[in-house]
Amino acid sequence: MIVLEWLFLTIAACDAAEPWQLGFQDAATPMMQGIIDLHHDIFFFLILILVFVLRILVRALWHFHYQKNPIPQRIVHGTTIEILRTIFPSIIPMFIAIPSFALLYSMDEVVVDPAITIKAIGHQWYRTYEYSDYNSSDEQSLTFDSYTIPEDDLELGQSRLLEVDNRVVVPAKTHLRIIVTSADVPHSWAVPSSGVKCDAVPGRLNQISISVQREGVYYGQCSEICGTNHAFTSIVVEAVPRKDYGSRVSNQLIPQTGEA
Amino acid sequence: MFFLESLDMQQYSLKEKAEKSDVATKVADAEEVENSASTSSKEVVTEEVETPAPLVESTEVPPAVAEENTEANPVAENSVEDAQVAAEESNERTKESSGDAEEPPEIKLETAPADFRFPTTNQTRHCFTRYIEYHRCVAAKGEDASECDKFAKYYRALCPGEWVRIFFQEL
Repeated sequence: MIVLEWLFLTIAACDAAEPWQLGFQDAATPMMQGIIDLHHDIFFFLILILVFVLRILVRALWHFHYQKNPIPQRIVHGTTIEILRTIFPSIIPMFIAIPSFALLYSMDEVVVDPAITIKAIGHQWYRTYEYSDYNSSDEQSLTFDSYTIPEDDLELGQSRLLEVDNRVVVPAKTHLRIIVTSADVPHSWAVPSSGVKCDAVPGRLNQISISVQREGVYYGQCSEICGTNHAFTSIVVEAVPRKDYGSRVSNQLIPQTGEA
Repeated sequence: MFFLESLDMQQYSLKEKAEKSDVATKVADAEEVENSASTSSKEVVTEEVETPAPLVESTEVPPAVAEENTEANPVAENSVEDAQVAAEESNERTKESSGDAEEPPEIKLETAPADFRFPTTNQTRHCFTRYIEYHRCVAAKGEDASECDKFAKYYRALCPGEWVRIFFQEL
């Protein structure tokens, strides 16, 4: 039964955390793909080193057991082995650093001009999103608040402490600029499957540029302790096809302009 | 919050002069400049010339959306005109029809381009500079110069609404 439940959950939300999850969520952006690939590349060598070190350790324990070998050889010096075990471990981090830095700097780089800008403003304890590309004045803008749905109001299939009332709708396969900032205390805007974790600092605008490669719903949580309801400040990004995005936004713009 | 931002504003207003001349030397490669109207207008012109990126984006991106829009509302004429004008038109239309209009306003996927002056994650100055540029443009070319709409679009895309309101109070 429990297994079935797990299976069901696994099927229900592929881009959210699942029970007993050990690995990554599926990548939705090239950035996340790069992070996962780097992790796997490094882990391969990490396992090799681990096995090698464990072998030496177990071998030493085995062969120098006090019953088996009560009087061991008393070697106190070995120049060759000392040089080797100093040089090799210092070369390995250098080889890890090369792809790591390449990825790090490519994540920062804005290669093409973004097609839309979304502002994610952290509040205690909700998020405000602004779509201001379609404004003709300072006053009107497509702005909405995104609150986590309380546990009692959840519907079947919705994830506890992950689902929000208003999702951020973004077009898929489009370069997005997300401006992250905060209105009160530091927050952090993080969506694991997009490979994004950006601190929201009051008085400062942080930019992240992502391009979501497939349509879907992506879940994230606040990642900077921001007060009592820190755990109840979730993020949901919904990637829709580009043509649907246009209609979604224009439909939301109508009530805005109607009010104005 | 207001305390923090007003603090920011003070810093900005102190640095404003330095910022202006800094930008001017970068863009126009000029000699010693003081912030006269002539230099700022010249700067604005060079700025226009050097950023072809948003135009490319706008020609390349909208077809899908534009087509979609022609299907949705046959009334809207989809000539490639400024998004500002289009948005204003649709705004007026919805006002006239008051409330539940069937014609959605046109959505054009374009925004402020990446700026080589602000290549880092921190975009705070980007927002502020675009806001200043807009007002310098308006000061040089008059209140209803269409060249300035571009800068207005940029700063609206980059600055949070709350910030814009505070900027406006400081004007």
